[in-house]
Amino acid sequence: MKDIQAEISKDRRAFIKKVLGGTIAGSLFLVIPAGAMDIPEQIAGMLEEDGPFITKKKFAFIVDITRCIGCGSCCVADKNEYNVPDGNYRTWVERYVIDVDDNVYVDSPNGGLDGYQVPREDVVQDTIRDTFFVPKLCNMCEKPSCVQVCPVGATYQTDDGFVLIDEKRCVACSYCVQACPYSVRFINPVTKTADKCTWCYHRVRKGLLPACVEVCPVKARLFGDLNDRESEVYKILHQPHVISVLKPGMGNKPSLHYVGLRREVV
Amino acid sequence: MEPNYRSKYNTHVIRIVIILVVLAVVSLGVRAMIVPKDFGKYGHYRPGAIQDEMDREIRNGTNASCLPCHPYIKEMHFSGVHKTVSCEFCHGPVADHIKDDQVIAKLPKKQGQEIKTLCLRCHNQIIRARPKESIKMVAMPKHLEDKKVRLDHTCDQCHNVHAPLMWVKQAKAMMGVVEEENKQ
Repeated sequence: MKDIQAEISKDRRAFIKKVLGGTIAGSLFLVIPAGAMDIPEQIAGMLEEDGPFITKKKFAFIVDITRCIGCGSCCVADKNEYNVPDGNYRTWVERYVIDVDDNVYVDSPNGGLDGYQVPREDVVQDTIRDTFFVPKLCNMCEKPSCVQVCPVGATYQTDDGFVLIDEKRCVACSYCVQACPYSVRFINPVTKTADKCTWCYHRVRKGLLPACVEVCPVKARLFGDLNDRESEVYKILHQPHVISVLKPGMGNKPSLHYVGLRREVV
Repeated sequence: MEPNYRSKYNTHVIRIVIILVVLAVVSLGVRAMIVPKDFGKYGHYRPGAIQDEMDREIRNGTNASCLPCHPYIKEMHFSGVHKTVSCEFCHGPVADHIKDDQVIAKLPKKQGQEIKTLCLRCHNQIIRARPKESIKMVAMPKHLEDKKVRLDHTCDQCHNVHAPLMWVKQAKAMMGVVEEENKQ
C-alpha cells in the first residue's frame, strides 16, 4: 500500500512539475519576441546598398492606364502608409470621360480613396467615346522645378534620382507647391511642411516595393530597375509606345511613365 | 590751383566700415549656427535628410507579414481568384495590428453593407471607365434578381470574400450542377 501511495504522490509531483514548467515556458514564449518581423526582400540587392545613394539601380515607375480598374487600393495603401491627413493626397486616381464632341470631363471624388461607386451623371452615357482611370503620383522629374525653387534646400534630388523633402528644413513657403507642373505637392496640415509622394523611398531602400505597387490587384502600377534588362519596366520602355509622360513640353523629364496615355490627359 | 574738396576728417567712414565688419561677423556667426554643419555635402541640402527619410516607419507590411499567423486564410485566399488582392487593402495596415511582435489591436472587420460597398469598388458594372477584359463585372441589383435572392443580400452571403467562387463551386458540386465552362 505504502508503495502505491508513494508512487502516486511521486507521479503527482512529477505532473505538477511538468505543468508548472510548461506554463512558465509557455508564458516566456509569449513574452519573448520571436525576432523582428521578417518581410522578404521584394527588390533583390537593395539591402546591400549601404551608402547614401542607390548606386546599382535606376528606378522607373510605370502606370498602365489600360489595366487600372479605379478601385483605389493604391490610395488606401498610401493613406495608411503615411497617415496622410484627410483632404490631402500623395497619390490619387482621376476618372476621365471623353464624349464624341471631344469634351473632356475629369473628376476624382476624395482622390479615389473611396473608389468609384457612381457614374458621372452630367454626361449622357451614350455620347461617351472614351473613359478611363488615370492614377497620379510624383513624377520624380530628372529636372525637378520644385528643387530649383526651394529657397532653403528642403527639397532636394538625390544622386539616384529621388526627389525628397527635408521636413526639418522646410519652412512651408509653398513655392514648390506652385512650381510643380503636376500638382503633386501640398502643405501637410499636421507637419506644417511641404509633402508629396516619394515613391516610398523608405520602403525601396529596405528592398520593398512602394506601397501602392504592392497592393495593386491588376498590376497597373509597375516599379522596377532600368539597369536590369530583364525587368518589366525596361521591356515596356524599350518597345514602341506613343505618349509616355505627362506634359513633356514642360521639360521636366519625368521618370513616371504611362502606358495607354491619351492626348487629353494633363 | 584747384581747391581741395577732400575732407581730412574720415571718422564717419571708419564708423561705417566698423559697422559693416561687425554686421558681417555677426551674420556669418548666425549662419554657422543655423545652417547644419555638413549642409551641401552632396548638393544644396542636408545629407542627414536622406537617412531621416529612410528611417520612416513601414506601415504596410505586405502580405508576407500577415500570412505566417493566418495560415488557413492564406490557403483559402491564394487558391481563389482574389489572390492578387492585398490583405492590407481591406483589413488595414499591419502597423495598426502588430507592434514589436505583439498584437496591439484588432483590425476592423467590414460588416454588412460595408462589404457590398467594398466589393463594388472593383466589380460595379455601371462604372464604364474600367478596361473591358479585366475582372468580372456585376450589375447591381440585376445580379441579385437573376440569382433569385432578396435585394438586401450582401455579397458575402454567397461569396467567400477571400475565395469568391469557393462556396459557389462547392454548392454546384453538391447539387450535381455541371459548370458551363466544363461543358464546352
